[in-house]
Amino acid sequence: MVAMRFENVSKRFVMSHDRARSFQELMLRTFRRNARSASETLWALRGVSFEILPGEAVAIVGRNGSGKSTCLKLMTRILTPTEGRVEVQGRVAGLLELGAGFHPELTGRDNIYLNGALMGLSRREIARRLEEIVTFAELERFVDAQIKFYSSGMTMRLGFSIAVCVNPEILLVDEVLAVGDQSFQAKCLQRIEQVRQSGVTIVFVSHALDTVRALCNRAIWLDQGELREDGPCDDVVASYVASVQAPEGVTVG
Amino acid sequence: MLSRIREIVVYRELLSTLVARDLKLRYKNSVLGFLWSLVNPLLLMVVFTIVFTIMIPDLRVPNFPVFVLCAVLPWNFFSTAILSSIHSISSNGHLIKKVYFPLEVLPLSTVLSNLINFLLAFVVLLFMIVMFRIPLTGALLWLPVVVLAHLLFTGGVALVLATMNVFYRDTGVIMEVLIQAWFFLTPVFYPLEILPSSALVWGIELPVQRLVYVLNPMASIIASYRAILYGSTLGSPPHAPAFDFLARTLVTAALCFVAGLWVFGRFRTRFAEEV
Repeated sequence: MVAMRFENVSKRFVMSHDRARSFQELMLRTFRRNARSASETLWALRGVSFEILPGEAVAIVGRNGSGKSTCLKLMTRILTPTEGRVEVQGRVAGLLELGAGFHPELTGRDNIYLNGALMGLSRREIARRLEEIVTFAELERFVDAQIKFYSSGMTMRLGFSIAVCVNPEILLVDEVLAVGDQSFQAKCLQRIEQVRQSGVTIVFVSHALDTVRALCNRAIWLDQGELREDGPCDDVVASYVASVQAPEGVTVG
Repeated sequence: MLSRIREIVVYRELLSTLVARDLKLRYKNSVLGFLWSLVNPLLLMVVFTIVFTIMIPDLRVPNFPVFVLCAVLPWNFFSTAILSSIHSISSNGHLIKKVYFPLEVLPLSTVLSNLINFLLAFVVLLFMIVMFRIPLTGALLWLPVVVLAHLLFTGGVALVLATMNVFYRDTGVIMEVLIQAWFFLTPVFYPLEILPSSALVWGIELPVQRLVYVLNPMASIIASYRAILYGSTLGSPPHAPAFDFLARTLVTAALCFVAGLWVFGRFRTRFAEEV
């Protein structure tokens, strides 16, 4: 049993700068033959394979543009791989979507139901967790206010709270903990740690390497879409740091 | 295809939550929200009645207001559901890029919330029917079947157009024009019977009446509503639509829905990259 398996996964993005984006353009195109289509392809991931076992806490590290976010989106099935296979077992909750499903005109309570439903939960299951979600987000006084009156911190807290309270089997944490004040950040980390100990698989993407080291036991280092190193967290992070600090030469792809 | 349908069923709570959200947002900002949604069909009814009974009196359709209203309400459901679901994928990019869920629920929830609005408006139609002393007959029992066909057809069209609008962003603008043309080509404010059974166009003989039925599922659907609620323009009471006619309508609608699901499913995986 694995929680997640990437089998030789590649993801290619095609950026066709001049594909017709409307019927109007499509019509005009037929009269102007000379414009040749130039499309750029970008391999965000290339031949990446790994397995994650249930209960593991895995960090994905790498420079900007190395394919970390693409990796997470493949895990949530938002994107499908161009080549290879992605297999995921169990409910995935992602902290990359903090507050994504919120509607500003609806109250906090309604938004909790909406977001829960987006994660595939039934009304009953959400109702059962409502109390916990609200308490954790420290929003008891504001549940029945419209989200548009929330501060950005409040919105984030609610989003985080929903994600960790829906009992996912796999929790994906993207660079989101930067938001919120110190005490709430600490609370979040504590909560993630607690979730981890209860046996939930965690995939963590962050540039905060101290947090990565504290939270994860394994790390995967992606470099320009390729898997550079996969192993115990401390070792991988150490060699990643070494490569980042090394002058020139390393980044040539 | 079956696995898609199964997944939509798993997420049915999301579907109902989205429908509830739609209705809530529509009616929240004005107490008169629901009454407002009745203004358009009632106004159309009044205008068409004035035009076709006073200004052009040769149509000779009895109980014209009911005749028109029992076609305008279904038509409005169709057109508003289509026009608002066209943008359901392209305008929810922020969501689609961040959360996984069966995207079919976006256009389908828009269609369903419009269906509920339509069914609520039915109360007014029933009131009109009683006021004009048109008998309510057992034919009404066929209403759920007609509504189902109507819903399936609308859902199928919505799925296809929502897909198209992701890749070609002016689909919505084009459809606003086309839907108007479609309205005039559908027997909404005129009875199908006044169409000539054949006509010569550029030397080609066209079976006009048959073509309207065959090419335009909305014509059959509206004809069925009319048979059940209004009767015939000759003044006979409401009656059940012919069985084979209704069966054909339902099968066509179901095929449109399946085709819509197929087209949507075919391009679904590219949505997150395109929106």
